[in-house]
Amino acid sequence: MSPARREALVLGTLPFVAILGTWWLLPLLVAYPPYLLPSIGTVLDFARESLLDGSLLRNVLGSLARLAIGFVVGMALAVPLGIAMALNRHVAQLFRPVLSFLQAIAGIAWVPLTIVWFGIGNGSVVFVIANTIFFASLYNTVIGVQSIPQSLHRAVRSHGGHGLGLLTNLILPGALVQILLGVRTSMAYGWRALVAAEMIAGSSGLGYMTMEAVQWQRTEVIILGMIVIGLLWVVMDRTIFTAIERRTVGRWGLLQR
Amino acid sequence: MGTAGVLLLLAAWQVSVPLVGLGPYFYPAPTDVVGAFGDLIRKGILPVYLADSLERYLAGLATGAALGIAGGVLIGLNRRASLALSPLLKFLFAIVEVAWIPIFVVWFGYGPKTILLALVYVVFFPVLYNTLLGVRTAPQLLVNAVRSLGASSFQVLRLVILPSALPGIITGLRVGAGFAFRGLVFAEIIAAKTGIGYLIFEGTQSQQTARTIVGMIIMGLLWLGIDQFYLRPLERATIQRWGLTVDAEQRR
Repeated sequence: MSPARREALVLGTLPFVAILGTWWLLPLLVAYPPYLLPSIGTVLDFARESLLDGSLLRNVLGSLARLAIGFVVGMALAVPLGIAMALNRHVAQLFRPVLSFLQAIAGIAWVPLTIVWFGIGNGSVVFVIANTIFFASLYNTVIGVQSIPQSLHRAVRSHGGHGLGLLTNLILPGALVQILLGVRTSMAYGWRALVAAEMIAGSSGLGYMTMEAVQWQRTEVIILGMIVIGLLWVVMDRTIFTAIERRTVGRWGLLQR
Repeated sequence: MGTAGVLLLLAAWQVSVPLVGLGPYFYPAPTDVVGAFGDLIRKGILPVYLADSLERYLAGLATGAALGIAGGVLIGLNRRASLALSPLLKFLFAIVEVAWIPIFVVWFGYGPKTILLALVYVVFFPVLYNTLLGVRTAPQLLVNAVRSLGASSFQVLRLVILPSALPGIITGLRVGAGFAFRGLVFAEIIAAKTGIGYLIFEGTQSQQTARTIVGMIIMGLLWLGIDQFYLRPLERATIQRWGLTVDAEQRR
């Protein structure tokens, strides 16, 4: 490890140590009801307990599964419509105002309505995520297709490419970088929508777990949930999104650093 | 052409109501929604809710941005402080603002404090982080040049560091403003007794689904207004002018 990296690592760990230290010392210095801020021990005990009985893992996997399904549904709708809008001026003009309006209300605002339609549970949560991902990805697809140089269109066409061949050889690969780059932002909105939707309309999952704990004042559940939510996002960001960026943008030399 | 799209949607919605035939609680018609809108205006509910939501949003945005810019500059000026705090800031931003709402409710109850804190939180981090990056990447050459001409520390800050951090600040503000708007609606659903988010939630709770849809439409119009009259002009006046357009990823 280079000295610069070691310095960054050591310095970067310090604030975490300071926070844990303060958290540990606080109950010794100030008196307050433990439900406001449970001790580190209480949170660790609950972490061990919920790991051993499998409830934490169930909630995490449930949340991730709902996120994945919502993501797939949202993308499956957004990419074809985005391509159609980018290729056909009339389609674009017809849909644009409606879609930019719907984009403005995408996500959590649909939860009350989806509770009426699908009841409390997976249906409502997945609908809200799919809805969020759809609107976040639509414009990236449109921009991706539109950013394909006209000369490439002409080149493919003059070699006899049309219809499906045009789509698979030119449009999809051409738009792919922009679509993949947009995934990070769509997921940032999708992740928030997931946690929020589970809090209001969920029957399991990380969001449900933390909101449910409020009425029992089990703050250690809330804190563990928050830490897991933060860690999961960091891990997803590090593994999935950074890898996508390296493989696509980095490889094709479009990364501006 | 775009108007045709809107009219087409409204017509399809109105026509589909008798076909679906599940009643105004499950699937209200556009005419029900217009009726609910008139009712909410006549009773004076909608203007009050709208004003409350706007007030909360602007207060959260302004506080979060002010703290973020100040913090970003202070931390950014010191290399060691930047190194030390960056991982913590990234982690705190990863604990999304919606995940803080349960603990804010335990600490501060259902009410305006919880909403304001959630909004400040979600604006603070992107602004802080982008300001920090902007300050850290201020060209050292210019700092040295201005200094050798006899500039004080304050002048270096005003003439070199803040201008070069400005695109980052605006980018952070734009990202934060988008998250904060959704955050506002969610926080109002959980912790308010007024506001557009409360209207959206209370509508279905009281079996007046048309009110929920009025709330959603107002929310959409509100965001389009904020985007059109505030964020885009801000971006034009700053980033585009200096030739540093935000990439599509952050634009949304």
